[in-house]
Amino acid sequence: MTSGTVTNPPPEPRLYSPLAAFLSYLVPGLGQISQGRIGKGVLFIVCLYGLFFCGMAMGGWQNVYIAQTAKDGTEEPAWENNSLHLPKPVANLWNRLHFVGQFWIGAAAWPAIWQYNDLPVPSEQTSPFLHKFQRAPTPKEENEINEAYGKVPDIAWVYTVIAGVLNILVIYDALAGPALAAAPDPAKRPAAPAAQEAAPV
Amino acid sequence: MHFPLAAAALYLHLPILIVIVSVVYSATRYEDWPAILREAFRWGLRMSIFLVVIAVLLFVLAKFI
Repeated sequence: MTSGTVTNPPPEPRLYSPLAAFLSYLVPGLGQISQGRIGKGVLFIVCLYGLFFCGMAMGGWQNVYIAQTAKDGTEEPAWENNSLHLPKPVANLWNRLHFVGQFWIGAAAWPAIWQYNDLPVPSEQTSPFLHKFQRAPTPKEENEINEAYGKVPDIAWVYTVIAGVLNILVIYDALAGPALAAAPDPAKRPAAPAAQEAAPV
Repeated sequence: MHFPLAAAALYLHLPILIVIVSVVYSATRYEDWPAILREAFRWGLRMSIFLVVIAVLLFVLAKFI
């Protein structure tokens, strides 16, 4: 090659980091912190947990949940709220899609799965907060929240869903690095063979 | 025009959401802070303009049609 043009070296292949991705799923930004990208990790943890917990607080800590609304063929009335005849957990998610977004915030949304499966929680007398934390509200409780706070609960679940969905991007950032990597610094770029050939001897 | 304070307060959530969404989104696309902040500003501006255009359209529809 004697054209004299400098050709860019091919981009380095991306290195994937599944462990960091899993850590960022558990706690937003934890994967980035484990990779030494402390600033970005802290930014993600503050922004996403801030959004998620503010949203939960504005919704009375009862807007991240999976509602038991659907029935399958073995229950009476059969297939109630489940016209597509989906498996019951899938139908419950389909009937209230919020949790499909909220799930991606990671461990902070797991109490909802715990409550959905009716696993043991502190009694209402011992700890009313933990008893109701991420538990599907009864229609009466839902009415009380809506009457007390007006439109705020609607904004509140939007906060939690946005936090969860943004964490999908954060998980990908931990897995594969930023979507648009910075261009290599020309000062640090090794001289291309073509340029060396073209140089006068 | 009926525009209670509580309804107006709802719109105070918008800047918070716009800032957080732009900053987090930009941070997942770039690695160095100046690029992140530049991109965040651009996205914030785009989202704000989009929302203002929608608001103006709705106002015009409500007022004149």
